[in-house]
Amino acid sequence: MFFKKRRRLWEKTRLKSSYDAVIVGGGLHGLATAYYLARDHGMSNIAVIERRYIGFGGSGRNTAIVRANQRTKENLPLYAEGLKLWPKLTDELDFNLMFFNCGNLNLAHSESALGSMRLLVASAQFQGIQSELVDAKQCKEIVPILDISDRLTYPILGGMYHSPGGTVRHDAVVWGLAKGASGLGVEIHQGTEVTGIKVEKKKVVEVETDKGTIRTAMVLNAAGGYSTLISAMVGIRLPIHVLTIQAMVTQPLKPILHHVVSSGAYHVYANQTLKGEIATGAHMDPWPNYTTEVSAQYIKHQAEALTELMPVLNGVKFMRAWAGLADMTPDMAPLIDGNDHIKGYYMDCGWGYFGFKSGVVTGRYMAEFMSSGQCPDILKPFTLRRYEDHRLMGEIANPINYGPWN
Amino acid sequence: MSLMITCPICGKRNGYEFRFGGEERGPRPEEEGLTHEQWCDYVHMRSNIGGVQEEWWFHRDGCGSWFKIMRDTLTNLEVEVQEKT
Repeated sequence: MFFKKRRRLWEKTRLKSSYDAVIVGGGLHGLATAYYLARDHGMSNIAVIERRYIGFGGSGRNTAIVRANQRTKENLPLYAEGLKLWPKLTDELDFNLMFFNCGNLNLAHSESALGSMRLLVASAQFQGIQSELVDAKQCKEIVPILDISDRLTYPILGGMYHSPGGTVRHDAVVWGLAKGASGLGVEIHQGTEVTGIKVEKKKVVEVETDKGTIRTAMVLNAAGGYSTLISAMVGIRLPIHVLTIQAMVTQPLKPILHHVVSSGAYHVYANQTLKGEIATGAHMDPWPNYTTEVSAQYIKHQAEALTELMPVLNGVKFMRAWAGLADMTPDMAPLIDGNDHIKGYYMDCGWGYFGFKSGVVTGRYMAEFMSSGQCPDILKPFTLRRYEDHRLMGEIANPINYGPWN
Repeated sequence: MSLMITCPICGKRNGYEFRFGGEERGPRPEEEGLTHEQWCDYVHMRSNIGGVQEEWWFHRDGCGSWFKIMRDTLTNLEVEVQEKT
């Protein structure tokens, strides 16, 4: 009798027949946009339509790493701003997002990798973002369990250290944003599938779902791995192919890894979660598909890579492996556009495997875009039109693929 | 279950022996009267459907032949084999 009745984190409501805006996809980007539309622009007559459960897609399957050490001048400011939002958001949403500002160490195993890291560090520093080159000894000081000897197949020559980065509990962000958005009046509809989008005279008029039709003048495609399927409903083709990206966690261990460590040559990144598990990943099967299958080949490879880099992990068991869908674009940069040939149709997709880091900040600017109809400057470079002009972004020339074979 | 692909020369092999060559996007458009949009559509845009699609594969760790197969992207299983024409 002394227990307060627990309220739902976000309300469950019946689908109405019309809304001011419909957001397709209950992931991080969709929920962030909904939250900021309600918070900053007074638009709360919004429905977030999610086919399964919020956070069931990429938002709940990533390894929760956040950083702002990308390469291009278009991407860096967006990610840098995003990184600063985590502590503020924790207060605002009154939800523990578990932002662990541990720093990211990116290892170099060849001269050419170090060379490209010099470029990355220079680009980041030019934008006012903390990032520095470190040598092998410093790598070992930062992460004591690293093996910097010649025992490795590809010995560590040095690295790039980004102190503002770290990890955030991905599920917490989804739930916190759902709580915040719902608290401001946004409706979240789970288990509802969008089956069509009706366009008349180049304007969005209706969204058809399996629970009823919604009259609306604004739709946001924030469907992540399923973006091309939603985009096909309005006849827009995207330069996206969907690849499954795999991740896995080990059994919980006492704290031994206090940073995010990643290695391009070994194709692996790892960090220790607040539960003690080493969360690791990086592999993608190179054939587009909509399954979320994992393969024994990659579990084996992860084990090999991790035990070479951090030999203390020898014998530790993998507990769980899973996969998510990464909507990959040719230039590793997202597709953010709106009102381009169809009025009221917006897209925020093509984030590949880096949508988590930018989710909240992109949501804030997408909200500005959708409420005013004008694209904010920070989002302008990500227009779909850049492919027509062959102005692909240079993000792909980063050290992920550099190795001793370069 | 990992992907198995039927190479027209070598037969059914492990998917990792191959390189994905892209979805079948038809013949290269004629240069006569080609617009930026048409060229962009051919080079960059994809259908990326959820269902059976026709696509090119290259037997990298084998005979090196280029061929097309039909594959269901919802189950990641090959559906039927087509010889390269």
